[in-house]
Amino acid sequence: MMDALAWIEQTRLSVFVREDFYAYFVLLIGHAWGMAFLVGGGVAVSLRVLGVASGTRMERFRGFFPFMWFGAALALVSGLGLLAGYPAKALTNWIFALKFACLIGAALLVRRMARQAFPAAARGEPTSAGSRLTAAAALALWFSGVACGKLLLYTNQMLLTTD
Amino acid sequence: MPNDPIFDVVGIAVWAIEVGIYDVMYSPWGWTVVEIVHFTGLCLLLGTVGMFDLRMMGFAPGLSLPALHKLVPFGVLGFCLSVASGFMFVVSAPDQYIYNPAWQTKMALLGLAGLNMVLFYLTTSRRLQALGPDDPPPFAARLFAFASLTCWLGVIAAGRVITAFRPPFFWCAWCS
Repeated sequence: MMDALAWIEQTRLSVFVREDFYAYFVLLIGHAWGMAFLVGGGVAVSLRVLGVASGTRMERFRGFFPFMWFGAALALVSGLGLLAGYPAKALTNWIFALKFACLIGAALLVRRMARQAFPAAARGEPTSAGSRLTAAAALALWFSGVACGKLLLYTNQMLLTTD
Repeated sequence: MPNDPIFDVVGIAVWAIEVGIYDVMYSPWGWTVVEIVHFTGLCLLLGTVGMFDLRMMGFAPGLSLPALHKLVPFGVLGFCLSVASGFMFVVSAPDQYIYNPAWQTKMALLGLAGLNMVLFYLTTSRRLQALGPDDPPPFAARLFAFASLTCWLGVIAAGRVITAFRPPFFWCAWCS
């Protein structure tokens, strides 16, 4: 694995991300914007299913999904760029995997809410306890994903394979 | 250190040491935990105020704006978390923030976002009360929402760039 990581570090993209003054920070900004749209949209949907802003039609929160998709795409592309710059930093840290698990788990729970709670709300039925539990779990996972992203900055064992 | 007529950066750092903030920040997990709180607050802000802004810009039709406004207190909570954690950063390394052009830009954008919010509530928010879920928001509301979202995205961007600079004291533009 270390050989593969060392090979990635020698690619032109990896060197560019590390050595260009703007590249790294442009990627960081893109990642922060992407995460803000993805997590922000997820938080809004979860809060609604939990009963906040109950005067709004829950199923219409689907209107925020395109912004969550945009955020996810932006976070993924910029995240891959950051990963290309310092592959060993992330891929040798188990918190990186935990971050992905939290975000994917939260996204799957939002999909579950969209498939179960949204149609029920459209039929005029009250939100079930199960859906509220799903929303609370999604909220916890979104914030855990954010926490893991920040922990990555402080828990890496190495920056480059040459360290 | 610079002869700063506005900010006593040494005095701020000494105060942070005296009240214990400095010890908290420079404990093994201090910066990490406070950074997590800071970005969690921003996500809460974007998830509530940001989504309200998007609706006010005309996206996600069918959502009643007055009802959606009930998300905003969670945005205020997020803002308070971000301000409190941000305050802890600044007082723990005041010269690295106060003379940092990225932090100065962030504060200017925060000020603009605040001014935009005050103007919105003074001039336009009442006109939204009568809107139905499918009514298009008025043009002024769309403009305020666009300005708000732009400012918040700018705040995030400037915040990410703060670590790009390690400002020496002579970067202080107002010091003698």
